[in-house]
Amino acid sequence: MPKLFAIIRHEFKLAAANKAFVILTILGPFLILAITVLPGLLSANPKLSSGGAPIALAGEDPEASAVLGGLADTLGRSIVEVGSDEAALAAAKAGVSSGTYGALVLLKEDWAESGATLYTKTGTDAVLYGAVEKTLDQVARERRIAKSGIDPALARELSRGAELAVIKVGADASEEESDDAGFMTTLFTAMSFVMLIYMTTLLYGQLIGRSVVQEKTSKTVEVMLSSVSARELMFGKILGLGLAGLLQYGVWAAIAMLLSSFVAPALGLAAPPAVSAANLGWLVLFFVLAFFLYASGYAAIGAAAEDEHHLGQLAWPLLVFLIVPLVMISAFVMNPNSALSVALSIFPMTSPIVMLIRILVSPPPVWELALCLGLLVATIYLMASAAAKIFRVGILMTGKRHSFKEMLRWIGAR
Amino acid sequence: MLNVDKVEKTYETVRAVDGLSFEARPGEIFGLIGPNGAGKSTTIRMIMNVIAPDSGTIRFDGKAFSEDMKARIGYLPEERGLYKKVKVEDMLLYLAALKGVDRVTARASASRWLERFDLAEWKGRKVEELSKGMAQKVQFIGSVVHDPDLVLFDEPFSGLDPVSQDLLLDAVLDLKRRGKTVLFSTHVMEHAEKLCDRLLLVRKGRELIAGPLAEVKARYGRNAVQVEFDGDASFVEALPCVESVRAFPRWLEVALRGDSRPDELFAALAGRLGVRRFQVMEPSLHSIFVRLVGGDSPEAAEADASGSVPGQGEARRA
Repeated sequence: MPKLFAIIRHEFKLAAANKAFVILTILGPFLILAITVLPGLLSANPKLSSGGAPIALAGEDPEASAVLGGLADTLGRSIVEVGSDEAALAAAKAGVSSGTYGALVLLKEDWAESGATLYTKTGTDAVLYGAVEKTLDQVARERRIAKSGIDPALARELSRGAELAVIKVGADASEEESDDAGFMTTLFTAMSFVMLIYMTTLLYGQLIGRSVVQEKTSKTVEVMLSSVSARELMFGKILGLGLAGLLQYGVWAAIAMLLSSFVAPALGLAAPPAVSAANLGWLVLFFVLAFFLYASGYAAIGAAAEDEHHLGQLAWPLLVFLIVPLVMISAFVMNPNSALSVALSIFPMTSPIVMLIRILVSPPPVWELALCLGLLVATIYLMASAAAKIFRVGILMTGKRHSFKEMLRWIGAR
Repeated sequence: MLNVDKVEKTYETVRAVDGLSFEARPGEIFGLIGPNGAGKSTTIRMIMNVIAPDSGTIRFDGKAFSEDMKARIGYLPEERGLYKKVKVEDMLLYLAALKGVDRVTARASASRWLERFDLAEWKGRKVEELSKGMAQKVQFIGSVVHDPDLVLFDEPFSGLDPVSQDLLLDAVLDLKRRGKTVLFSTHVMEHAEKLCDRLLLVRKGRELIAGPLAEVKARYGRNAVQVEFDGDASFVEALPCVESVRAFPRWLEVALRGDSRPDELFAALAGRLGVRRFQVMEPSLHSIFVRLVGGDSPEAAEADASGSVPGQGEARRA
């Protein structure tokens, strides 16, 4: 046991006590912020994305400015009326092209029937396009209703949609209202989790695999094995590097939490949809299990690989198990209790991701959960042990090929 | 202390070790000597349980190898390797920790050894900054820092300059003085001659000769004479009492035939050469090695005759 601690300590220090690790740990949250929060920030807040250039309005419609009055509030931009004669239009179009105006809205006399025109520089500003369309839609409909002489109140009543309430029924017959947003939240949470595991595997899995391979290529292996068993060495590496990884993620998670609870409200952003404490617990549990599962997997692959290049070639079967749940994620969210979902939520290589999705969507039976966790822990242990055995045999193979029989003898040996 | 009995190891078609038996007794320095590819490293690896013998047994104080023995054994493998990014002292402390030595003891021991090898000011530097020779010395320290009872050194002197070699020789003799058992391999006979109490000369995985150094020398050594002279010495080789001659411009190393006496040679030289120095040499292990391993001796012929496997010479692949 003290030997194992010495190895864990050594590997942890080797991974964590260097500049690259410290820099990445500190800068990581800002990188994550840049790729996760900023796009949301930008699309949720048109003012930030559009730069706030005023919108030009050229209208033959006498009530044109009133029509777009609501738009100014929605987009948070000022509206500038320009003349509707040829010269003014040409000038306004030039303004759009040069960026003086964010866009030009042209309302002809009978625009409500014949249609309006929106001039933009890019044609891809979906927020602007949507807002203008919605505003014009509303006004055009009201005008037509007024023209037809139908009572506006009646018209509204007639065109009202039917409502559909979605209720989630829990195991204890509890009822919980759900909606579109519920699906999106679950999908988003599951997606983030899968991406997190995927990134971690690429980062730390490779790191562990490389560390094992280097033990062979740097020839430290004989010295190490003259002091400790292959098993102690493998477990120590997986745990030591694993702790370094978890430390890094812990720091990131703490910073992310601080940001979302203090900085985001200060910026006027809605906090991300809250994940319940219980679900957060499951998330952490499955993350740690998935982390060590793939760490052990990579250690085993590193033990079998001859060099780092070879390691990359051997790693793909592991990645397949990560990619499958990734591409099937919406299927699991929509049908968490299908035979496929249940099977993959128990099969250890995919269970951390699939089971977590099932927990988020609708709690699975306890026995399935227990089976999943039991299998997962057993698999991690077996995989790490296999890594040690393969490592032991792999050393025998450096420089020469051993017979399959001999390898089996070694796997069987203690 | 260490008992190796009829150990065999075959790599594909190459019989690397072919029934070797020997014993390293407590407190002695045992030399495993032989040419490159004789199976020395394979034997040491089998002792260290890095690879498994096909047959035969290896016992430590009568017991088979086990994990808890590792703390009492020090091992310097032929293929050296240290973690490049780790500081010298940390590396040694780590190796000691893996042998179960507490940090305070390990630190003191590491300092002592680093001092001894003139590496004290390097202890805060990373291993990758060391020269090859320095890394070699650090590796040696790593094998003894935990004060083991039995040490195995595989070619401990290779890659070291003469000064470092002497430091290492002293260190090994010191280990013996402190009652440790040392087993080392080498193909450099000077080192074997300076260190060994007993030795085993291996050729093609088989025992060629074995026994205490003095006994081996007495049995297999031949009379040799060194002559420093002025004049033309080309006639010496043809003298009846001379077996062979290593000729240099101003001196000769003459091996005498059978039971010829040195004074027969002296008489033959007198008057024909201006002899400046005439010295009867103790037979060197080097000459014994060259003669036996060179293959023209009855011992070597016998070893070859008794069932050899084709391609034995390449027993060990680097």
